[in-house]
Amino acid sequence: MGLLNFTRDPVPEAVSGDMHNLIQLSAQQFSALTEVLFRFLTEPKEVERFLTQLSDFATMNKISLGPLKNIVKSILLVPNGALKRNLSSEQVRADFIALGLSEEKASYFAEQWKVNSPTLTRLAVGQTLMINQLIDMEWKFGVTAGSSELEKVGSIFLQLKLVIKKGSQLENVYVELTLPQFYSFLHEMERVKTSLESFS
Amino acid sequence: MAALRDGDFGALQILLKLVSALHNLTRHVVYRGFNRAEDILGLFPESFHQNLKNLLTKIILENVSTWRNEAQASQISLPQLVDLDWRVDIKTSSDSIARMAVPTCLLQLKIQEDAALCGNNPVVSALTVELSKETLDTMLEGLGRIRDQLSAVANK
Repeated sequence: MGLLNFTRDPVPEAVSGDMHNLIQLSAQQFSALTEVLFRFLTEPKEVERFLTQLSDFATMNKISLGPLKNIVKSILLVPNGALKRNLSSEQVRADFIALGLSEEKASYFAEQWKVNSPTLTRLAVGQTLMINQLIDMEWKFGVTAGSSELEKVGSIFLQLKLVIKKGSQLENVYVELTLPQFYSFLHEMERVKTSLESFS
Repeated sequence: MAALRDGDFGALQILLKLVSALHNLTRHVVYRGFNRAEDILGLFPESFHQNLKNLLTKIILENVSTWRNEAQASQISLPQLVDLDWRVDIKTSSDSIARMAVPTCLLQLKIQEDAALCGNNPVVSALTVELSKETLDTMLEGLGRIRDQLSAVANK
């Protein structure tokens, strides 16, 4: 086996055998299986649904679920590696052929890869590390009527509650701003937005 | 410290009572928000020395707004935002994807704990927060709404 695009590590022994077994599937069956796989890749949280769909596929096509799961595991190695390395559909097709998949099926999978890669890329970017990500902001503002030192005050205050994700926990941060501080905060945030937009 | 003689002790007591009384007077003026001479003059008893009364009133009037601002600055509150710094980064690569160009914003908020609790040594903590472009847009929307409501209140 020549150099593969989707990985630099040696591929597990079982993969060639699994790819070979796919010969038994007709084009239609392979296309149905591919659809199940991509539906899972674009919605990775739906594990239950994926397993149900796999088991339905196995029953409908009279294949045992165990071997099918192994085959699926081998197939998924390629799109996962391809995503990390920003591979083109040509490279994905070449890798499948190198692993032993028929040209027809490899081309079909690569086509589906091309169609789905914007969604998959967006998902991968969304998973990128963020430090103390700001999740939510709540606010209230009001008037201070009086205090123990001053009978009548009448000044405006603004309170912000920032919900921040620290690691896997959410933390609330409460901050109070005076009116001039609020306007300067707003001004700074608008400058940030201009800066971010110039880079998009 | 040198030992106090009897006479000195009596004088010290009177002095402390005087300072305490002055403090109460000025606090009362600040609390009620008096800014006219008549209001302050009215606080003194009839028999009070005229010139002294006028002098005290003049001095108090000169200081009243400074004292009011100080009281407002040190009133109890939630932690205050004292400073804001930011920077924009472009994320180019990560373990989940080798090539990307995603702009992101890092905000550093300097937050000072309640002034009333800390007295002369306020504790300032720095919090760095990351925002994606979408989060920033949502935040600006919220801030814009606050600004609109503030102008509506101001124009009433």
